[in-house]
Amino acid sequence: MTDIVVEHRPEAAMDLVEKATLQEAKGASNLNAAVERCKAANPGERGAAFRALVEAFKGAAEAERFEELAAALRSALTPVLDYTSVQTLQRFYRLLPAEVKGPAKLKLAILGGFTTHQLKDFIELYLFAAGIPAELYEADYGVFRQEILDPSSELYRFAPNRIFLATHWRNLGHLPALSDDPQRVSDLLEREFADWSQLWQTAHDRLGCQIVQNNFDTPAWKSLGNHEARHPAALLRYIADMNRLLADRAPSYVTIHDVAGLAADIGRRAWGDERFFLHAKMPCAPEHLVNYAHNVSSVIAAELGLSRKCLVLDLDNTLWGGVIGDDGIGGIRVSQGDAEGEGFLSFQRYAKALKMRGVILAVCSKNNEQTAREVFEKHPDMVLRLEDISCFVANWTDKAANLRSIAKQLNIGLDSLVFVDDNPAERSIIRQLVPEVAVPEVSTDPIDYIDALERHQYFQVASLGAEDFKRTDYYRANAMRGEIATSAGGMEDFLRSLEMTATIGPVVPATLERTTQLINKSNQFNLTTRRRSAAEVMALMEDPGWVTVTASLSDRFGDNGLVSVVLGHIEAESLEIDTWLMSCRVLKRGLEQFVLNYLCDLAQARGLKYVRGGYIPTPKNDLVRNHYADLGFDATRSDDGGRTSWELPLANRTPLNTFIKMGSSR
Amino acid sequence: MTEVHDQLQDVFRDVFSDPSIVLNEKMTAEDVDGWDSLTHINLIIAIEKRFRVKFATAEISRLKEDSANVGSLLQALTGKLQPSK
Repeated sequence: MTDIVVEHRPEAAMDLVEKATLQEAKGASNLNAAVERCKAANPGERGAAFRALVEAFKGAAEAERFEELAAALRSALTPVLDYTSVQTLQRFYRLLPAEVKGPAKLKLAILGGFTTHQLKDFIELYLFAAGIPAELYEADYGVFRQEILDPSSELYRFAPNRIFLATHWRNLGHLPALSDDPQRVSDLLEREFADWSQLWQTAHDRLGCQIVQNNFDTPAWKSLGNHEARHPAALLRYIADMNRLLADRAPSYVTIHDVAGLAADIGRRAWGDERFFLHAKMPCAPEHLVNYAHNVSSVIAAELGLSRKCLVLDLDNTLWGGVIGDDGIGGIRVSQGDAEGEGFLSFQRYAKALKMRGVILAVCSKNNEQTAREVFEKHPDMVLRLEDISCFVANWTDKAANLRSIAKQLNIGLDSLVFVDDNPAERSIIRQLVPEVAVPEVSTDPIDYIDALERHQYFQVASLGAEDFKRTDYYRANAMRGEIATSAGGMEDFLRSLEMTATIGPVVPATLERTTQLINKSNQFNLTTRRRSAAEVMALMEDPGWVTVTASLSDRFGDNGLVSVVLGHIEAESLEIDTWLMSCRVLKRGLEQFVLNYLCDLAQARGLKYVRGGYIPTPKNDLVRNHYADLGFDATRSDDGGRTSWELPLANRTPLNTFIKMGSSR
Repeated sequence: MTEVHDQLQDVFRDVFSDPSIVLNEKMTAEDVDGWDSLTHINLIIAIEKRFRVKFATAEISRLKEDSANVGSLLQALTGKLQPSK
């Protein structure tokens, strides 16, 4: 019997190479090991593990091993820490020299309608953990209106590129009296909205920056009892209606941060702690500031294109109960009518819901591929099917190597992956060998998997458009295109067979959201990686000195949607390309040549003589190092950092050949 | 030393990240590095969590006063930990 068990459970056994590499990683840093022990600790061990971590951090700080300390801090800073622990980590963060924190990528002004001191510290910390070193400005408590309205305030001297309006329900200015009739309440709501929208507009006009505005949480009492939700002048009803107005009407330069949702996650009574409001004007029970700050930073990170993109799932005891290799398709627990089986199905339904809004799903499992696939094909109750999985890897290779291969096949970075596995040993190995991959700690109950993912907000949404709902179709269609490419004779035949049509033109209000999303998300095919908020792109749309271009591409397999953006400004004789980016799902289709033809026509129509562009290297955009050379530009300059400048004279230019037809314009 | 005293000492060590803190009843905010009005709130939160007790709004004020010391904290705490008569 024992033999059979050993044979069928290779998941439990770690191969030797893996063990050796792990030892090496551990030897390299006691800090990482301490962080790992903290993450894997059960509730009883957590206190001791955290104290050991603090000692290890102290040692590193005293020895001035700051780079190492910074990396370990980032890894330790999960949203599941308690308030006291985050305070402690905050102290170590303060010890880091500026050059280790990195140059600020964000200038964030926090204007609070409550005491934002702790929240600000925590937001800074979680932004740092998300790879966004930030410079912060915090206004005094309760003066957010004056800061915005007074043009000589500190806010404008600081000149932020993002504002966080940290307000709560007490900052509402037009609360109704219970006796007000519905018309009066509706007038008050309009005035309320107008007041806030006036603040946003003033700040936006003066700074052109994106504004993160809290919606409103509610107090824990209901003076109208069961009627609170129905009476138009009831406080909770008024706040709910106000939140609805914010959701429906906020302009694209305002991001509504869903504090009401955070409060509901906690439960209204547990969310507020009046004592700490009275003593320190804290907006909620201090314990919840951790999640609050993490959520704000996740929203900002999402807007900067740093959300993760792909959920990688283990199979045995993660998507179903039991081990398919041992138990067989009839023995695994994933059926209706069985409590545990239905738990696994709930998790599958959650993963499917993520997939429907554009999160890529992949499988990484130690199994025989055929056996594993069969469950998706043949089990009648499975929610996830093979067509939901963009990349299916089941073999006996170590998972670290398999995760690397998944990232490569999907053409995304390792730091875009989240890996869910019920096996603590696998989780620990991946966290140490492939630290870029996010691996949440989960219990052995499938019901907890959803909660673990929800708490981390790995896939935080900055904006949602039709593109997102179709994204996983693109990946499937790409696989089909790949098959043709191998079957079709040559590249030209392949491109011709795609029957491509492109639509190209300036950014218009209808394409603003998608354009901004691409500007902030594209890493690989991105010549300069300059990020811009919706507000900043809007300003360029209206600026006669700037040219904005977007291109969409469709082919016989489907519509790829808006996939390329170019922003340029006109200088004396030339069109200077500031930003050129393209979604990698349309690589090698000739779209960049098509876009260049359009740019040249546009420049010539304006009587310009040159198109000029530059390349700024990042760890992710090596793909386009030779972009301008490949398009026939002449090199004009290069520096030690790898930056290059290019120029294309427009005289005697012949348009480049493509297999893309010009579609009707938008 | 009592068990409450030792546990409170642990809380202080955690909140102020200083394992060398040794509590005595006469200690005040002046004697502990970093004990200000902000960290006072942090301390209250950590104590409430560790001992599963809740301080009233006025108690939090009293414990913030200049005359308050570790002794008053211990007294308030043990009062809450005793089984109600």
